[in-house]
Amino acid sequence: MIVIKPKKYFEVCVEAELTPELATKSMEEVKKFKVYYGNRVVELGELFEVTKTGDEKKLVLEGDFSRVKWIGARMADGEIIVRGSVGANCGAFMKGGRIVIEGNADDWLGIEMSGGEIIVKGNAANLVGCAYYGDAVGMTAGKILIEGNAGNYIGEKMNGGEIVIKGNAGDFVGTEMRAGVIEIHGSCGFVGGDMRGGEIRIKGKFELLPTFRKTEKGWVGDVNVKGEGIVKSL
Amino acid sequence: MLWIRNGIVIDPKNKIKAEKMDIFVKNGKIVPEGEVRREECRVIDASGKLVVAGGVDMHAHIAGSKINTGRTMRPEEMRVVRNVAGKFRAAVGRVLLTAPAIGYEYAKMGYTTSFEAAQPPIGALHTHEELDAIPMIDKAALPVFGNWHLVFKCIEEKNLEKLKALIAWAIERSKGFGVKVVNPGGVEAWMYGGNVKSLDDQVPGFNVTPREIITMLIKANEELGLPHSVHLHCNNLGVPGNFQTTIESIKLAKGFSNSKRQVLHVTHVQFNAYAGSSWRDAASGAAEIAKVVNSMDNVTIDMGQPIFGHATAMTGDAPFQFTLHKLTGARWSNKDTEVETGAGIVPLVYLPNNPVHALQWAIGLELGLLVDSNKVALTTDYPNGGPFTEYPYVMAMLMSRKMREGELSKVNAYVQKATGLASIDVEKTLYEIINMTRSLPARILGLQNKGHLGIGADADIAIYNLNPLETDTSKDFEKVYKAFKSAEYTIKSGEIISRNGEIVKEVFGRTFWVDARKKVDMEAVMNDIRDYFQYYSVQLGNYGVEERWIKKPERLEVV
Repeated sequence: MIVIKPKKYFEVCVEAELTPELATKSMEEVKKFKVYYGNRVVELGELFEVTKTGDEKKLVLEGDFSRVKWIGARMADGEIIVRGSVGANCGAFMKGGRIVIEGNADDWLGIEMSGGEIIVKGNAANLVGCAYYGDAVGMTAGKILIEGNAGNYIGEKMNGGEIVIKGNAGDFVGTEMRAGVIEIHGSCGFVGGDMRGGEIRIKGKFELLPTFRKTEKGWVGDVNVKGEGIVKSL
Repeated sequence: MLWIRNGIVIDPKNKIKAEKMDIFVKNGKIVPEGEVRREECRVIDASGKLVVAGGVDMHAHIAGSKINTGRTMRPEEMRVVRNVAGKFRAAVGRVLLTAPAIGYEYAKMGYTTSFEAAQPPIGALHTHEELDAIPMIDKAALPVFGNWHLVFKCIEEKNLEKLKALIAWAIERSKGFGVKVVNPGGVEAWMYGGNVKSLDDQVPGFNVTPREIITMLIKANEELGLPHSVHLHCNNLGVPGNFQTTIESIKLAKGFSNSKRQVLHVTHVQFNAYAGSSWRDAASGAAEIAKVVNSMDNVTIDMGQPIFGHATAMTGDAPFQFTLHKLTGARWSNKDTEVETGAGIVPLVYLPNNPVHALQWAIGLELGLLVDSNKVALTTDYPNGGPFTEYPYVMAMLMSRKMREGELSKVNAYVQKATGLASIDVEKTLYEIINMTRSLPARILGLQNKGHLGIGADADIAIYNLNPLETDTSKDFEKVYKAFKSAEYTIKSGEIISRNGEIVKEVFGRTFWVDARKKVDMEAVMNDIRDYFQYYSVQLGNYGVEERWIKKPERLEVV
């Protein structure tokens, strides 16, 4: 297990693909791990304090990581615990393993993830589990649990997996969604635009486009794209 | 001064077939041996290597609002980093490249000239700003005329003098090079949600037909004596059965002649060479088109070869782009360019196991193989058919039947049924391929000093690590591909700009434009132009590009 703490307040964002893989490396290697600080390439040890305890494939991030992007990107296994908030793109392209965020998550949480689990104890921002700019397919498998609220564009172009939000969400939930499940325990804005498949379950209030038809299963649509997605109340 | 020693030169324009010879360069031009002092020359040892003129890409979309909209709507294209900023500019792009990347990639491949193939005249300033941002190569742009209200008016009135004056005026204002015609009449019909389906359909709102538009423009172009002929993107592009329209359009060139060049260039013919009645029974019409082109001496074509992988369809043919968007469900952007033209953009992926894509791929190759190599230029209609960086793949394919057999076994078997590619045993020679990529496109465009290595030619030279005397292009296709992919030396105007596929010096090429104003009475059309500016969003005085705004303009005057 490796514990990482920021040494200072970051003036600009840090881009660091911190994965549990680091825990398998020696302290020397970890400290020399290359990260971007603004447009400069620096060593991890320059910005963060690193301590190692045991060989467990686990990363503990202590403190404020809200200006650190790409945490857990492309990780395949192991665990990351963040005792604070994370920056954008956390868990992007993740294939497996687990990320627990005790604070809040920024935009692009778990984009295009194809496995694993992300748990956010606080709130998440926009574009959770969606496709990266220009790509055709978002999250394909895995699970994202957000105990607080989430922003707009949740599960855009989602093609599998599950997103559960205990609080409220913003507009455009499940836009262009093809498969998978989005569950919102609070309320949200517009849902399911151009949805082709999958299911959106909402406990609270939501707004529906006129292009959904009412059936026994719930609202089915988006008719606009001959979709068979389902929107229903929990 | 340069002295390229002992290279094996292939120069189809000057009928040099793989001869060992020396080439001398002074002040950016190729000169006779007597004009240089050997001891002052930088010597390049090219023994056992192929020395040819720099490649000329006569049809690519490299600058202007279309490619820029394509870049905007395809951020996923911008994740391939080709060059990190440092000594040279940052260059990114998978298939849709940024302006510096376009210049660098051409140079790495031994290409030194490229023409932007469709420029709405009103967008000329944007196009030239972008052309100016492309390093390494010489360039020019072809303004589009086939759907312009004023052109229609001249044709309706059957007033050839007025049409000639309009062309001369528009080419001067847009600092363009020639007359491009995109789906004549069809893009205007698209303004009403339609298209034209044959050469004799009437264009909505005007008493003209595509046949009249093409014929009148050829007539005007020939009387003006522009360096390049009419450059036609045919009607019905991308519609099964369209090869008939293409053949009819090609035959419109009958009755015109020009001793220097063709009178009609039909572009990216692959997209216009489909037989059948729908995509379910589509087949190749390449053989029929090849027969017609081969039988006429005043028409040339280029291939528009698709390359498997990513591409972006972008043409002034707006109605076709909508059809494509409906067919694939991909993103779509539509442009309406005031009273002049329109355009559309749709991302695309060519997949080998998709029967339609495999068919398109095979048709492109059929055209390249069956048409006389003095009449077909090699293009991918970048980025419509794919990246220009894969030209070496097309070159190697045309030269090797063995390579084609290998590739054929990987694509959808529908190709075997719908095209004759498998049974074509033509293997183009290296001489023919050099012609298709150098001398011929230069001749088609009317560029006297490009595409050859004769005395007085621009010193745009490519040296490849390939010995034409020892290489069997039919068997060593992998070697051929590798050699053409990165030139050992690329020389632009006498300067070495790239070595072994690495940029060594950034230079900026010239922008050619044609001035035919002396050939016409400009007053014949000025009243109409003034009148038409009530429909434009800009004033007449603000329309067009001044020569001094262009980095390195070169005026070619028609007298």
